[in-house]
Amino acid sequence: MSLLVARGLTLEARVEGEIVPVFRGLNFALESGRALGLVGESGAGKSMVGRTIAQLLPPGFAVTHGTMEFDGHDLVAMPPSRRRALLGRDIAFIPQAPQAALNPRRTIGAQLDEHHARLGVRGRRDLREYALAALHSVHLPDPQGLRGRYPHELSAGMCQRVLIAMAFAGRPRLVVADEPTTALDATTQAHIIALIRALQRAQGTAVLFITHDLRLAAGLCDDVAVMYAGDIVETGPAAAVLAAARHPYTRCLQLANPRMTGPRRALYPLPEQMPGLRALARLDGCRFAPRCPIVAEYCLRTDPPLEGTSHRAACIRPGLVPAITVAAEVAPPPWRPAGEAPVLALDGVSKHFVTGGFFRPDRVDAVREVSLRIAPGEFVAVVGVSGSGKSTLGRLVAGLEQPSAGRIVLAGQDVTAGGEAARLHRVTAVQMVFQDPQSALNPRRRVASIITQALEAQSAPGSVREKRARELLAELGLPLELGVRRPGQLSGGERQRVNIARALCAVPRLLVADEITSGLDVSVQAQLLTLLHRLRQDHDFALLFISHDLAAVRHLCDRVLVMHQGAIVEEGPTETVFGWPRHDHTRALLAALPAGA
Amino acid sequence: MTVLRWLRSGRVLAGLLAVALVLALAVLAPAIAPHDPEAQDLTMTLQPAHLGSAYPLGTDALGRCVLSRLLFGARLALSVAIPGALGAMLLGAALAYAAGYLGGRTDRLIGRAVDAVTLFPPLILILILVFALGAGPTNLVLAIVLVDWTRFCRVLRHEVRVVVQRDHVAAARLLGFSHIRTLAIEVVPATLPLLVTLLALEMGIAVVVEAIVSFLGLGVQPDQAAWGQMIADGRTALHQAPANLLAPAAAILVTVAGFNLLGDGLGRKLAARLVEDRA
Repeated sequence: MSLLVARGLTLEARVEGEIVPVFRGLNFALESGRALGLVGESGAGKSMVGRTIAQLLPPGFAVTHGTMEFDGHDLVAMPPSRRRALLGRDIAFIPQAPQAALNPRRTIGAQLDEHHARLGVRGRRDLREYALAALHSVHLPDPQGLRGRYPHELSAGMCQRVLIAMAFAGRPRLVVADEPTTALDATTQAHIIALIRALQRAQGTAVLFITHDLRLAAGLCDDVAVMYAGDIVETGPAAAVLAAARHPYTRCLQLANPRMTGPRRALYPLPEQMPGLRALARLDGCRFAPRCPIVAEYCLRTDPPLEGTSHRAACIRPGLVPAITVAAEVAPPPWRPAGEAPVLALDGVSKHFVTGGFFRPDRVDAVREVSLRIAPGEFVAVVGVSGSGKSTLGRLVAGLEQPSAGRIVLAGQDVTAGGEAARLHRVTAVQMVFQDPQSALNPRRRVASIITQALEAQSAPGSVREKRARELLAELGLPLELGVRRPGQLSGGERQRVNIARALCAVPRLLVADEITSGLDVSVQAQLLTLLHRLRQDHDFALLFISHDLAAVRHLCDRVLVMHQGAIVEEGPTETVFGWPRHDHTRALLAALPAGA
Repeated sequence: MTVLRWLRSGRVLAGLLAVALVLALAVLAPAIAPHDPEAQDLTMTLQPAHLGSAYPLGTDALGRCVLSRLLFGARLALSVAIPGALGAMLLGAALAYAAGYLGGRTDRLIGRAVDAVTLFPPLILILILVFALGAGPTNLVLAIVLVDWTRFCRVLRHEVRVVVQRDHVAAARLLGFSHIRTLAIEVVPATLPLLVTLLALEMGIAVVVEAIVSFLGLGVQPDQAAWGQMIADGRTALHQAPANLLAPAAAILVTVAGFNLLGDGLGRKLAARLVEDRA
């Protein structure tokens, strides 16, 4: 018998007085001891499944039909006291933000003891034994010392291990993990996934793994279910789904993901974005139909059921899915004459920060003796784990930080000293695209005013600005009417494009992009990477692309620099560095990628 | 647009109405007051309030019209509160923008200055300053400015710090904006709602300060009409003519409540606005 079964689960939300069906009769089953990956982009409703299990739905959301059965009992209908008895004991959760899930004012030991006491462990000696065993089970070093530490003394990865230890402590029958590795570095992510997999196998626990990453889910889970706008559109054995997608959305997602092997093929740019809650009310047929490359007229009217035996897809023309394809290779970078003077030259640049008190200052070396050259029109990536100094390097180039030592030459002029002359030179030579468009776009300005801010600095007349705003919007594939909106009214992908448009307005020779694709959905990221490729064909700018996403780097950049503890440890053409890594750190970065990438 | 949206809040509307009423009465006082506020009629002392009579709110111990003195008292209260609060805002905001935007040593220096002033209870410090500078409305305004700028500076500096760390401020610098322009275009607008809120609250505080100082007889000349002074005089005649005490007390209550409601309402609208921005 299945352990967790959703039967015709219908979840409705009240949005501005309107009732919107979020789930229209959701069906899935998770057998004991198996792992099911629930995959989807943001807004797909995958987290709502976890929240339905815990009955922690946001205000206005309610289950109106169907059941969510755990071991034959409906979690929705059962009295809260009974559900509480199940949660934490038979059903455990691994949260998304590990450091926020632990109480910062209590030691790890105290929080483990509290959890074990709830599970029925009594006596100080027993509690101690259990805590040590739990910490040992997740391979944390020095369990004895760890009990006395506070969450802020641990890294995010270690906190997540503690929470995994807690989740598996009561030998639960079901573990729900909602994006447990999203907040972690790639290398840590690989370790955490391996750990969950090992514990799941050892204890025979069923795992519901909620993630946006299809490859990650396929690596961990027996089965996957792909969700789109509240519907499960495809489900089946992980290997089968990954190898031969039968739903166009799954296929498009795979094609939108840059690969680490084989030729650098173009990415599938799914147009527009997933419908929001309010739009769902007006979508009666297949919810993917408005974006589907193989849509038929029939799709707009009828919602197709999941069809097939073990590998099922909700599409009426699965035969056409393999025919969805993209160009086999991205266009090569435009030809450039050899021997041009570099647009950026760094010689032995270092940056240290002094933190802490007046009497005991701490010196942090963020960047150590970095030397590099970027030729005009060249796309160069800087990769490394968080804290490796890659963001500081970007800020040094942009002029937001002054180097402690070394020399920075930008478009033929020494700008090391800073000062007003260097700043004005930088304005025309380098621009920066910031990581978080939420913070990078003034919420009070309109889009047209934001993207032409460079002209505002030159006091250009309004008509010139309007004309340039229209050009930029068209170039970045944004509708013209977006110009009068404010950043708060845009989607994440649109905001990031506005962010890029502003930096491109004055046509800089070098663009510094700091983690601009992190936190974006796969299809939005594909749109952005494709856009940068296209802009490169039309404009003459070099790019310093700071990222931890190796696949995106491989797709976009000609050359890559690997940073570790503030220094560049390896550099070379992207294919060479990723294909034949020489430094241990580069190998560690590459080893952390999910299999089949 | 924004102003219209603010008006939809009950608090803002009620506060605005109360403040507008007091302001109108103060401006129109010479025209609508039934008597000269300083004219004494020693044959008509301590008359009780009677709406139909020549003295609708009665008279005080010297036979002066309470209603007229109340209206002229509003003039004095607002003529201290408005310039006092505006002056404190200008000084406090200027230093807050400097501290928050420049950071570093400037920030520490201004922070220490705020600490030094707020070491003393603000009212005591104002009284000491008024003693030192001499009585009179102008010196009272000066004292309020010199003490209460800290209220603006401390709160606003924090807000400025938060805004300055947003990337769009760095982006403006990279695009070639000067410091002054970055501050004026990218930072100040984000802090204006907070500033307006603080200003409304400060005006209420200044009205109370003026009342207390004139209650102690330090605010104005003894014969000039002031609400605090009227309360001080009215205490002795509470039984014969309670309006002598109750009328100025009610006037202070309405004015201060008006300013506080306005400030509170604007503050809530500001919070709602930020939530909308995030959505």
